[in-house]
Amino acid sequence: MYRYDEFDAEFVHSRVAQFRDQVVRRLDGRLSEAEFRPLRLMNGLYLQLHAYMLRVAVPYGTLRSDQLRMLAHLADKYDKGYGHVTTRQNMQFNWPVLSDVPEMLTDLASVDMHAIQTSGNCIRNVTCDPYAGAAADEIEDPRPMAELIRQWSMLHPEFAFLPRKFKIAVTASSQDRAMIKGHDIGIQVVRNEAGEVGYHIIVGGGLGRTPVIGQTLRAFLPKDDLLPYLEATMRVYNRFGRRDNKYKARIKILVRETGIEDFTRLVEDEFAALDPSDIAVGAAERARIATYFASPAFETGIKPLDMASQPEVFRKWVDTNVVAHAAPGYAIVNISLKDPERAPGDVTTEQMRAVADLADAHSFGELRFTHQQNIVLAHVRQDALRAVWDGLVAADLEDANINLIGDIICCPGMDFCALATARSIPVAQAIAERFEDHDRQQAIGEMQIKISGCINACGHHHVGHIGILGLEKAGVEFYQVTLGGDATQTAAIGDKMGAGFSQEELVDGIERIVDFYVGAREHDERFLDTYRRLGTEAFKEVLYASA
Amino acid sequence: MSTLKHKGKGPQAMTANELVSGLSVWMTTDLNWSRDYADALLTEDETVIEKMDEIAKAAEQANTVVGAYFIDTVDAKPARYRERFRTHGPSYDTADLISES
Repeated sequence: MYRYDEFDAEFVHSRVAQFRDQVVRRLDGRLSEAEFRPLRLMNGLYLQLHAYMLRVAVPYGTLRSDQLRMLAHLADKYDKGYGHVTTRQNMQFNWPVLSDVPEMLTDLASVDMHAIQTSGNCIRNVTCDPYAGAAADEIEDPRPMAELIRQWSMLHPEFAFLPRKFKIAVTASSQDRAMIKGHDIGIQVVRNEAGEVGYHIIVGGGLGRTPVIGQTLRAFLPKDDLLPYLEATMRVYNRFGRRDNKYKARIKILVRETGIEDFTRLVEDEFAALDPSDIAVGAAERARIATYFASPAFETGIKPLDMASQPEVFRKWVDTNVVAHAAPGYAIVNISLKDPERAPGDVTTEQMRAVADLADAHSFGELRFTHQQNIVLAHVRQDALRAVWDGLVAADLEDANINLIGDIICCPGMDFCALATARSIPVAQAIAERFEDHDRQQAIGEMQIKISGCINACGHHHVGHIGILGLEKAGVEFYQVTLGGDATQTAAIGDKMGAGFSQEELVDGIERIVDFYVGAREHDERFLDTYRRLGTEAFKEVLYASA
Repeated sequence: MSTLKHKGKGPQAMTANELVSGLSVWMTTDLNWSRDYADALLTEDETVIEKMDEIAKAAEQANTVVGAYFIDTVDAKPARYRERFRTHGPSYDTADLISES
């Protein structure tokens, strides 16, 4: 895992000192709210519907056990005993008090953490495949590249005031778990015909009010060219991106209006005009960064658990939540934060500490937050799976629903967010409760329900197999449905079904869709494949059929 | 002063957020601030509304509250759904489950 060098540490501590002084000046009136607002946002502090909210950055979703314990400490000391894992792999606290935030940032800085790049029209915290460094299908660990992008983007003076926020996601696997086609820039580590490792650059993806699937900007970019090429792309966006209308300011709009061919030409021209030596990072520096992400010392000769002697409930959890690892004898463990009674992504401080202990005991002290609002222990010995599960049971974290219908992505919605138009948490809870039976979830199979409480789409509803958008009219919440969305390498925007539903009607409608799918699928066909085979109308008819 | 989608029709209330806590507050009948909407002053009296506006601006200047604005009310409740929601807080908060356990 990356550790701050002296420059990182000095910068973060000086930034905290600056913010501490800014808060003092705000409280005594030397700074007005208009002056203070951009300063607090640069440090991840929002004023939400009911209170302040602090969003802490978790670069590429990876954190150490001591960092998770620090997040638990913050939640206990300054908030209400829990944190919320976001759809961008960060953690939010819903109830901080302004005067405490400098102390919170000081505590964070003591474990190499901060809240920079979690707000504002800058390059935001880079997100990443949560199985990085452990996935059997990856070419190399993408996190050194993500860390390089973090170092380049964090204080880049040219890109501190972009037309709009800018999100980058990276992966090194053919199976896209980072939703790279749904980001302003998506980067996939690939190998060319000559066997060289480089980058596939995707541009212009995004969700929000105008969902767009990203397109290829460069099919193969040599490693040395990464930062110059990103710099060129950002310059084109910064120069031509619209600033007159925030709803048309994202790069996806520029790419769409320019056309991918012309946009590519603009980038390539800018790239050709750059002096790469100004910014390019060579193999030696990349190798230095990569040493921070070196694989742990995996042991050999590990015997798999005798599953036949294990209880059924444990076997079900393994079937659902445990994934193959690149190293023989190891496994990737997904910890579900989708207890049907709780908000998706919420985790209490007791649970955080329990997970940190499990990470120390069984996963080299390291863990990941996922954009699906769960936690991953990336390197667990197969013969330790039972011990991990026992620990999760003790912490009430044993839900066996990863990638099933209970594993719902959900934004905070109207319950917390100032931008929301409707609640999303109660909808997620109602659906999770309806489908709570594990065997039923298992029988339904892979299913991603994603819920957003407004058109800004933080809940990624456009790419949900079943997407739900909460709206409000005349004081009444209602929910629109999209079907067939896909967040993976076969990315697709879901098809809008039509008129919205009340929450109660919605849950019934979803159950009708699910039951129809289960009856209509061929063999072990996934929901998405059945939907694509039968088409929109068949499902729409079922959705709107009276119960 | 921000009015959001305030139409200025019917009885008005003044709302804001406390600067330090960020919590929602409403101007009271004694022209102070309360976290309880039940204490809110609702009025159509233009003179009083003008006074409320002055006091809210002064409170912002004094760094007591931020983002003060008027809201429309109907039958003593905020007209807009969002504003009604602000009066009672989240319908779900994990903190409540923690305090129950």
